[in-house]
Amino acid sequence: MAKRVTAVVKLQVPAGKATPAPPVGPALGQHGVNIMAFVKEFNERTASQAGLIIPVEVTIYEDRSFTFVCKTPPASVLLKKACGIETGSGEPNRKKVGKVPRSKVREIAELKMRDLNANSIEAAMRMIEGTARSMGIEIVEG
Amino acid sequence: MRWLEVAVAVPREHLEEVGTLFAELGTGGVTIEDPALFSKYLDGPGDCVALDPRAVPAAPRVKGYFPAGEGVGARLAELKRRLDSFLGGAPYQLLVREVEEEDWAGAWKAYYRPLAVGKRLVVKPSWEKYRPLPGQVVVELDPGMAFGCGTHPTTRLSLAVLEGLLRGGETVVDVGTGSGILAIAAALLGARRVLAVDNDPVAVAVARENVERNRVQDVVEVREGDLLAGIAGPLDVVVANITAGAVVRLAPAAAGVLRPGGFFLASGIIREREEEVRRALEGLPLSLAGSRLLNSWVTLIARRE
Repeated sequence: MAKRVTAVVKLQVPAGKATPAPPVGPALGQHGVNIMAFVKEFNERTASQAGLIIPVEVTIYEDRSFTFVCKTPPASVLLKKACGIETGSGEPNRKKVGKVPRSKVREIAELKMRDLNANSIEAAMRMIEGTARSMGIEIVEG
Repeated sequence: MRWLEVAVAVPREHLEEVGTLFAELGTGGVTIEDPALFSKYLDGPGDCVALDPRAVPAAPRVKGYFPAGEGVGARLAELKRRLDSFLGGAPYQLLVREVEEEDWAGAWKAYYRPLAVGKRLVVKPSWEKYRPLPGQVVVELDPGMAFGCGTHPTTRLSLAVLEGLLRGGETVVDVGTGSGILAIAAALLGARRVLAVDNDPVAVAVARENVERNRVQDVVEVREGDLLAGIAGPLDVVVANITAGAVVRLAPAAAGVLRPGGFFLASGIIREREEEVRRALEGLPLSLAGSRLLNSWVTLIARRE
């Protein structure tokens, strides 16, 4: 059926753990989306990525039906997982909280390539490295 | 319970990472407002576009929610500290407002009410009580993933035209059945055999559920398939509520399986593409018997010669 789009909502929610509470409830409820249908489907699709934060783009049509696409987790989330840390540094220049080998940076860049605005894997790696520095994570050779 | 909504305006490239700062402080996620997400829908052609520019947010923002009350001041201060650090002291705008707890999981239901279509049909969500008037035909349908509740103009047009055509005893194929609504309505209106086809397995599963919910599984068969591939005539009615492009591709096959005097209902056509569909019908043994228009959507009724 041909349908017109009325809204595009982007959320970032923990994989497998979406609930009708904010931010999902207010973001989708105002467009008349069946929130439990979203929550159930999102949690099912992302269950295998437990522990990661997943960006998801929800497209809402004029009959209040919807579709959604899950994106790759933000670079900082993947970096934290790679270093085994919970949070980034509050003072990234002075206080380092972890180290990540360049091979891991490449791995993350390859994973995120499809969602990044980068022309090459090297450009994507520079973006990931920039994020790492802003979190107080050092890049080491290896 | 009350919530503190914290909205931070930052450059687009920082949206996701600022979102994770919120998550570290236990917001359970964030909403990201990004005008760039809308661009692909604003100027696209044809079947699935036309977004109201007023719906587009003015600037990129991240919105997170903290439960109001004790400790919220400290979390807000910590968020600001991390934002300053992450953005390297670059200025950003931060707005805070209180919002009331609502029944978010149930509030959306307020948008759906039983809807009368045509002369006799009523489409209603399962949780609504409705006592039909004498002669009324009620289709029960819940909105959800990928499908609405039968209230889209193209669906309403198709339902109204089907209601006008069916006298009882017909054989009907519903191509691109989606939720199954047209197939179910055809069965409830007296069709003898209805075949509902969709190329999307999700649609097939949902349509089967809805067929059973309306207790018409003895009449309606739901099948995964591509348009009319593998379907033989002669049929009384072919209905396709899809898109202009799909209707054009389907028309020759529809002419092939209809009995002389049978009807092809072509729906889901945006007005800008009506001419294209009419031209596609011209070379076929289908003569235009009528058309309906609702909110810039068109349904064409063609009769097999």
